Amino acid sequence: MPPNAPVAFHAPLFHDLVTGLSATERHVVLDLGTASTAMLGLLGRSRCRVDIADLAHFGGVDRLNTTKPGPALSSAVNTMLPIRLPDDLFDLVFCWDLPNYLTLDALSTLMNAIAHRARPGAVAHALIYYAERDMRKHPGRFVPTAEGAELIDYGAANAAIAAPRYSPEDLDKGMGRFVLDRARLLSNGMQEFLFRL
Amino acid sequence: MFERVKRGDDASESADTSRPESDKSFGALRSKVTSRNNEMAVIGSSIQINGDLRGDEDLRIEGNVTGTVELKNSVLTIGKEGKVTAGVYAKSIAVDGEIKGDLYATERVSIHINARVQGNIIAPKVSIEEGAHFKGSIEMDPAAVEKALGKTAVSITEKSVAQTKSDNTAKTGKEADTKVIPPAKSA
Repeated sequence: MPPNAPVAFHAPLFHDLVTGLSATERHVVLDLGTASTAMLGLLGRSRCRVDIADLAHFGGVDRLNTTKPGPALSSAVNTMLPIRLPDDLFDLVFCWDLPNYLTLDALSTLMNAIAHRARPGAVAHALIYYAERDMRKHPGRFVPTAEGAELIDYGAANAAIAAPRYSPEDLDKGMGRFVLDRARLLSNGMQEFLFRL
Repeated sequence: MFERVKRGDDASESADTSRPESDKSFGALRSKVTSRNNEMAVIGSSIQINGDLRGDEDLRIEGNVTGTVELKNSVLTIGKEGKVTAGVYAKSIAVDGEIKGDLYATERVSIHINARVQGNIIAPKVSIEEGAHFKGSIEMDPAAVEKALGKTAVSITEKSVAQTKSDNTAKTGKEADTKVIPPAKSA
């Protein structure tokens, strides 16, 4: 497979999530990944504000993993998240495959900071390497198809480092105040999770 | 300093040829130009501007601009060489370079490949090409967009009027008559 060949895969929990958004209610979405027109198009069908953190491209992953847990890490997390706007708490969080690239300490600090700015009942979506032993060196770029039924993974064939293959127990710790709600095995060797606050 | 580039085939710079060199260099800031629809002003890559930029014609920034940029009825393009640290308000905004600041557009914001944007976007239509880097918020709730654009137009206009009054008062010692432009309607 060419190094950057896009690979499409079904992600039913993602699909349920984005197609279940009410067209009349306002939603505040936090996307920890890279912005894409396709994702904006999908979310734009409802009344949304989308906060894009793009942690992978703005140096967030390395900084989170190398900062000592505690106040310094909490402070680092807060500088990486978009500015908090009054009365707009997150309803939905897209983590993509980012959790695989963070230590559990860094992940739990990040998710607890997000939980602090999220509405009760908020949902976080994540893709965790499960069957595959290796993963690409950096977090991936996932772009939904027009109806959100599939996600297109760019650079899936660039596996270069060992995947942590976090267990549900690991994620229980790593996702902080977000608790496991649903999980699905996917055809690409990943597991899709929904966590709820 | 500023350059004017043709975007069509009928624009003529002949009116400028008789001007002294020092005068020609500021041609882009003139309000009357021939074939205006086919031209856009350009801030070249060696130019640095600190302050407020306002105008009523299309502008391309290839230099460094810090402050605010207001082109209420026009198109702003931040070119590949452009680095802008400013709040930007325009009819339409296209980014190929770098910007740190909030982007308000009454029509559209387009972020192209390799652009780097850190700030919030408030616009009815937003597109982000794959390969662009964006960090910030995108408001897509039509009611919130309309509200934000209305408020921004008012605040920018109020600021401009206040500044003009202040300048005129400083120059003449008394307040000058100023015309308040109503806030732009969002699309």
